Amino acid sequence: MAAGEFEGGKPLNGLLNALAQETFHGHPGITEELLRSQLYPEVLPEEFRPFLAKMRGILKSIASADMDFNQLEAYLTAQTKKQGGITSDQAAVISKFWKSHKTKIRESLMNQSRWNSGLRGLSWRVDGKSQSRHSAQIHMPVAIIELELGKYGQESEFLCLEFDEVKVNQILKTLSEVEESITTLISQPN
Amino acid sequence: MEATSEPLLDAKSEVTNQLVDFQWKLGMAVSSDTCRSLKYPYVAVMLKVADHSGQVKTKCFEMTIPQFQNFYRQFKEIAAVIETV
Repeated sequence: MAAGEFEGGKPLNGLLNALAQETFHGHPGITEELLRSQLYPEVLPEEFRPFLAKMRGILKSIASADMDFNQLEAYLTAQTKKQGGITSDQAAVISKFWKSHKTKIRESLMNQSRWNSGLRGLSWRVDGKSQSRHSAQIHMPVAIIELELGKYGQESEFLCLEFDEVKVNQILKTLSEVEESITTLISQPN
Repeated sequence: MEATSEPLLDAKSEVTNQLVDFQWKLGMAVSSDTCRSLKYPYVAVMLKVADHSGQVKTKCFEMTIPQFQNFYRQFKEIAAVIETV
């Protein structure tokens, strides 16, 4: 079936959105039949299937290579030129879609590839803890930090830590070493 | 006289731990089966924490660079506050 029989515009944009939800953002469950009946009702199911597969393949390729705009234009142009490829109309819709969703899709890909817990949140409080031992009052401030951790697609786990001032400063020193490493890494040419 | 302490943060975990060790590494995710061009640096942290009974557990997590910078900034704030208390 000629690519031109599938219009670009809103239906294609809707299709790309649904594909992105399923492929990158982890929200499957939109069936092929639902997509076809909603977006391309005049197209037969057996013709819709290869079209959907083609669009999915193109979107995956673009995301996998994390294409910048030059690469994107070159890639899409090549797709319009090949047999059974896409129309320039469709290319324009895909291009616009990638430009506006690239960051979000990339973030999802990053989250999916992280198999450890991620840091979802951090809250803290400093308490002035007063203890009296014998007859002396000892003033010992304490920082209480709650880390919210969680693996991709799983519920959060909360970890509560207590630090005195000495400990806080130790951690701070360690964190400055981390930052130094990051600076060194970023300043190196790729 | 009795020891008194402020009530703890209404923490969801309800148990506070002491940090025994903090290990870190800076990694670079290059490529994966779903994305050939990942190219993002991350900070991986391994904490050893001890609860009231002295039992030590290991907790690992990762941060993107912006998340790490926020983490670092918050610790600086904590240090500034704890100094003045």
